[in-house]
Amino acid sequence: MKRIFLVLAAMFLALPTCLLSAETSSETSKEGSSAVTLAPKEFVIYNDKNSRDNHYIPSGFMGDVGDIKLNDQYMADPHSGPTGIEFVYTAKNSQGQGWVGVYWQNPANNWGTRKGGFDLSGMTKLTFWAKGAKGGEVVREFMVGGIKGTYPDTTLVKFGPVELTDTWKQYTINLAGNDLSYISGAFGWVTTSDLNPQGATFYLDDIKFEADPAMKPEGHKVENMPFYVYADRNSITNHFTPSGFMGSYGDIKIDIASNTDPYLGNSCIKMVYTAKAVQGVRWAGVYWQNPPNNWGTVDAGFDLSRANQLSFWARGEKGGERIEEFKIGGIMGEYSDSDSASIGPVILNKEWTQYTIDLRGKDMSYIIGGFCWVTNADVNPEGATLYLDEIKYE
Amino acid sequence: MKSNTNKKIASGSNSPVTVKGAASRKLPLLAASCLVLFLFALGMASRPKPAVWIKKFKGSRYELMAAGKPYVVKGVCYNPIPIGKGQDYDWWSDPNKPWLTDGRLMQEMGVNTVRIYKAGNNPESVKKVISDMYDIYGIRTIMGHWLGFWEYPCPLYGGKEFQEKVKKEVLEMVSLYKDEPGILMWILGNENNYSCFGQVNPWSTDEIDKETDPAKQNLMRARVYYSFVNDLAAEIHKIDPDHPVALGNGELLGLEVAGEVSPEIDVVACIIYRGKSFGNIFNSLKNIFDRPILISEFGADSYDAYLGKEDQNMQAFFLEAQWRQIYQNLAATKGGAGNCIGGAMFEWTDEWWKHNEYYADGWSLHDCESNWSNPSYYFDIKANSNKNMNEEWFGIVELSKEDESGLDRRIPRKAYYLIREFWKNPALADTPRKK
Repeated sequence: MKRIFLVLAAMFLALPTCLLSAETSSETSKEGSSAVTLAPKEFVIYNDKNSRDNHYIPSGFMGDVGDIKLNDQYMADPHSGPTGIEFVYTAKNSQGQGWVGVYWQNPANNWGTRKGGFDLSGMTKLTFWAKGAKGGEVVREFMVGGIKGTYPDTTLVKFGPVELTDTWKQYTINLAGNDLSYISGAFGWVTTSDLNPQGATFYLDDIKFEADPAMKPEGHKVENMPFYVYADRNSITNHFTPSGFMGSYGDIKIDIASNTDPYLGNSCIKMVYTAKAVQGVRWAGVYWQNPPNNWGTVDAGFDLSRANQLSFWARGEKGGERIEEFKIGGIMGEYSDSDSASIGPVILNKEWTQYTIDLRGKDMSYIIGGFCWVTNADVNPEGATLYLDEIKYE
Repeated sequence: MKSNTNKKIASGSNSPVTVKGAASRKLPLLAASCLVLFLFALGMASRPKPAVWIKKFKGSRYELMAAGKPYVVKGVCYNPIPIGKGQDYDWWSDPNKPWLTDGRLMQEMGVNTVRIYKAGNNPESVKKVISDMYDIYGIRTIMGHWLGFWEYPCPLYGGKEFQEKVKKEVLEMVSLYKDEPGILMWILGNENNYSCFGQVNPWSTDEIDKETDPAKQNLMRARVYYSFVNDLAAEIHKIDPDHPVALGNGELLGLEVAGEVSPEIDVVACIIYRGKSFGNIFNSLKNIFDRPILISEFGADSYDAYLGKEDQNMQAFFLEAQWRQIYQNLAATKGGAGNCIGGAMFEWTDEWWKHNEYYADGWSLHDCESNWSNPSYYFDIKANSNKNMNEEWFGIVELSKEDESGLDRRIPRKAYYLIREFWKNPALADTPRKK
């Protein structure tokens, strides 16, 4: 009887704790231990304007910062509560960058120069609600973590591109298996004027981390075919960026939105090579990289193992322009491409002509250099203008 | 019953009779054929295997066999030019015999092969080096020939006169040294294939010049070059059946053509500088030219061009990663490509003449200036103009001006000890990301 009384007393005393944990905690130890670790089930980035639950500030403006307007008390049609966040992006390229983005930081304006952030271990996903003013607005990617500097975030997870709809929709970023022990840049987004040539107005709400035990670490992703390097200037299917300028890079001008007789769609790529040897060498070329400017320093290769070939369409403005090499892969560094393949020299026709690079037997499991061309002044003494379109792995 | 059957056959069926009759007539012929086959088999069984040969397994896996045993080439490129001397220095005739000092150090490290790019001018000196290395230290020699790659104005592989000249030199070399027990194999050329693609020492012929498509021109040149090397290999096999003939090649460039026109080649000897990984080279070769691969030149320098100081850790990191990949792809290792037979790292000693071969005063200075870039060696890629490769700092042992028995003193670098331990107990786990 005395024992029963003691058990009942213990249960009575434990009841409030159990109720609390049902609301805000999860049981993390299940094997043989009676200890229950209290851990929050969610951690809010933004609920509503001035909410005490908010933990990060949308202070990290990037790129063409003059092109963004932020309204963090959008009240016309928030997803929940009294307010949401409105972004108006004009795509005017005010700073000449062609892209724009915002990070939610802690403390505000912390680019890794100060200690801040939170230990979010135990969180397995980030969810947010988003919609566009018209639908069709494209966010190139959303990010969790990724702030560098003296106090760098312990992870970077990217999600996207996302084409928004004109109604609220919830998105989930899987964080399972990532080290979230120090996160000062909790959430961010980036987009470009090419993806949104007319600008974009979009809305975000209810951004939060969640501890969902059902989330499992994402396995290795093998990309499906076709996998586009370039379809059209604002295509959501584009991958890689023509950022890797080589040799006399001052001799090259790129327009990735040329409307001069594209092969397909509304645009193609125009490349002008002046052969002036501005940097003192008589050759030049461009790599399409992921992410931009990645010379093997960032672990970000695509697994294109399903690709048998890369095909593209090309033409010269006059015909007779000579490209020494069209190539994929071959970037070497700490994170090297797993293989390379090339064709060339190629003398371009004035008419659109399709070329292919055979990838059979190649190890395409890790590609950061998605496409490349190289030429020189010796074979193009007057320079060369070439057009490219529909560059894709298939 | 038998008799009846025979009668029936004899009277009622033509074909069996015909067969029986034919068999009877061919019996002596069959017996003779069997005898010939038996004698041939006997001859095959009694003929000794070549001194060095290639054993092929299922799945295009290869093993090099020497003295009847599997032989993994644990090699080093060897050109011991002393401090203050230029590339033409005849070290073969050096009275202080650097190969004796080096051979001892190599043996202690576990090196079993030296790769030499070109034989010296004095055959007796060359034989002495080969035999000393083998007899005293058990180190075999891979002997190479440049195939006129550096001939002025260019290597005219399409010209009969040029071909005959090179052929004469090569066959003389083979004749002179093929009976040295220390010889392991021959390597023809080094990175000569680049000349076919206009990258180094470009050459052409009238016929090639008539072709307007530059890509086809390249393939035509490659066909001419690899056919020529194939002819050389065939001639070598006639006079020396005991040693494999390897094709020296920069990367895999052009080898799809060699796969078509070079059946006499036994081994592909590739020069590869890709940092810590050889990438997909082992499997790629299987697809384009199914031969065993020797990584005949690879390595890393030990000078950090960004920080401006020696970094032996950097060199050791890359070399260990490279050897690990070589071992991962040996025939005896499960899971790998199985077509690698070893490698020869570049190189045994630093060479102080290399930064400027025409400036004799510079041969006594250990130059720290880099003149080429390779982002695969990424630790110092932020050096000025990304020039991070220091030609005079590739030695596994460094040279000191301090005299030791008439030679520059040899000081093993960290890579010497690290690779020595790796060879004793090869750890084949993946390469760590950081040095």
